[in-house]
Amino acid sequence: MSKQDLYFKEIENLQHSKSFLEEGKYTQNELKNEFKTLYDNYEDILGQIKIITRISDRLQRRLDKTNDKLNEKNTELQKTISELVKTRISRKATTIVFIVAIALFLIVEAVIEPYIESYTNFYTALFIKLLIALMIKPAEMLLEHSFMKRERKRKVNTNERKD
Amino acid sequence: MELLKIESTKQTPEIDFNNKTGVLLIRGRSMSENSFEFFKEVNLWIEEYLNSPVEETIVKIHLEYFNTSSSKCILEIFKKLKKINDIQDKNINIKWFYDEDDEEMMETGEDYQDITDLPFEILIANE
Repeated sequence: MSKQDLYFKEIENLQHSKSFLEEGKYTQNELKNEFKTLYDNYEDILGQIKIITRISDRLQRRLDKTNDKLNEKNTELQKTISELVKTRISRKATTIVFIVAIALFLIVEAVIEPYIESYTNFYTALFIKLLIALMIKPAEMLLEHSFMKRERKRKVNTNERKD
Repeated sequence: MELLKIESTKQTPEIDFNNKTGVLLIRGRSMSENSFEFFKEVNLWIEEYLNSPVEETIVKIHLEYFNTSSSKCILEIFKKLKKINDIQDKNINIKWFYDEDDEEMMETGEDYQDITDLPFEILIANE
């Protein structure tokens, strides 16, 4: 045990007592003095044990509290990330549907409508346009659902790779 | 005898011991794996200081966190400093600071007070 050790003093005291015991011959007074030293050391160590145990328990309690807080923050963060992903996907789906809707509208206006007007009436053209308009929302929802499914699958794959 | 100044790190506390004013400050966190090695210099300084302490030594301790081995080193410091009370006309006061929401550190101060029997002031840190 080197002098660099945290328990150097205690080890030294113990070795002193051991050496004394091994001597074998001692007077009553020497015994009394040695017992007093041993008692003092014991009292000192007991005090140390008491305080170190209490501090250690308290540190554990503090670590548990910090860990709980960390888990709580992590859950909040995961929730925020999920919401962000959902918003991003929703925006992407809206953009795609909007572009497709404009394209369809242009196709209807430029190609289908002149054809309809030649062969059918005004109400049929109106019905087709209405149908396109009504299809926008369900198409957006379908697209969103599909993107979310793909995102979840990607997340599972990433987690599996991490494990 | 020189002043003892050690800058704080992520794992070791700031030490600012002044033998002229008698103010000994330990502040920060102490979580080094080899805290005995860190406090060795502190202990040596204290041993020298005990030869000629000022009339009133004030020990200011403001720790936000310390590990178990540091708790033993701090106890050793208190035991050493307690000897000042045995010197005529010299006394020592410990000011134990804790952050307002840090109940654990307050209780730790109370424990040290109980075990060392030194005059402790347990105070909320303002900084």
